[in-house]
Amino acid sequence: MTRELEHQFVTQLEANQNIIHKVCSLYSGNQDAHDDLFQEIAIQLWKAYPKFRGDSKFSTWMYRVALNTAITLYRKSKKLPRTQDMDSVLFRIKSEQYDPTEEQQLSLIYGAIRELGDIEKALVFLYLEDKNYNEIAETLGISEVNARVKMNRIKNKLKNVLNP
Amino acid sequence: MLDELELLKRDWQQRERDLPKLSYEQIHRMIWKRSSSLVRWIFYVSIIEFIAPHLLYIVPSFREGLSYELAESLGISVPLYILTVLQYGVALYFIFRFYLGYREISVLDTTGNLMKGILKIRKTVLHYVIFSLGMILLVFAIFIEGMFFSNNLIDQLHLSSQSNIDANKIKWLVMGIMALTGIIFTGIVGGVYYFIYGMLTRKLNKNYQELEKLEA
Repeated sequence: MTRELEHQFVTQLEANQNIIHKVCSLYSGNQDAHDDLFQEIAIQLWKAYPKFRGDSKFSTWMYRVALNTAITLYRKSKKLPRTQDMDSVLFRIKSEQYDPTEEQQLSLIYGAIRELGDIEKALVFLYLEDKNYNEIAETLGISEVNARVKMNRIKNKLKNVLNP
Repeated sequence: MLDELELLKRDWQQRERDLPKLSYEQIHRMIWKRSSSLVRWIFYVSIIEFIAPHLLYIVPSFREGLSYELAESLGISVPLYILTVLQYGVALYFIFRFYLGYREISVLDTTGNLMKGILKIRKTVLHYVIFSLGMILLVFAIFIEGMFFSNNLIDQLHLSSQSNIDANKIKWLVMGIMALTGIIFTGIVGGVYYFIYGMLTRKLNKNYQELEKLEA
């Protein structure tokens, strides 16, 4: 039974791992920290898996656990360098369709996102993932109105980075 | 010009292709690794905090210093006995509260509730620590009180009375040392606690404040 559950879980996690990688790239500054956080999220998901009833999509369920782990539960397990070596997915420059102005703009915005607080990052992340305000509010445990107000403030903040 | 945030959104979604890909085996290996979550840390630290005051009695000088015979001769064994019973009762109550709070914590909850849950058990431990520190001070205070009303403290402490110093002076000196030890000891234990918890919950407190501000 456990083996079957395990197989089912790992298969689903493998298929949806992008969500975790994206959370990790937002909340960690380098590859080691990324891997460490990924592992902790995977452990938390596995521990909570028996409570996953399938009444929501596996991916929806993952957003909550992944963000909760990154924001609240995660503690570095080993000594990881504090430096941000800009090697995270967020900062890698893509080679194809290279448009210097766009690339520069994006790098400025990603830089600004990195400076945000952990909760603000979660809002931006859910927004970028095309979640509606109801889902954002439910994930974080805030009211929908406040989620909307806060998101608008962050949007303005990010736009100001580009047009100071 | 394309709206900057739309540009960002488009880019974000394109970046999916650049994300690392872990294999089935790599993920499978991960899920059996040991978690290093904050809740786990708080759990271990709290267990240590619950048993630490009792470990003190293993330290020989502490055990002898607060020995039963001395307490008996000072006439304070009854209050100390009542205090011990009270202490165990209260400790059990706190352990029960801690257990209930611990069980309520779920990674499936909203971020806000999860943080509230953790802060709640942290508070339970904090109250227990304050209670324990108060108890330590009280035990020292009872000893000092016993010494104050004692008529032949020098004999009771097995100190030689050959010196020419006034017995009364020695009595006050011993009481002073006892009070100072009590305060320093409580201070150190409290300081260690403050340091450990500060380290553990710095990030949690910061994020909780961020969330609270958002709801204000």
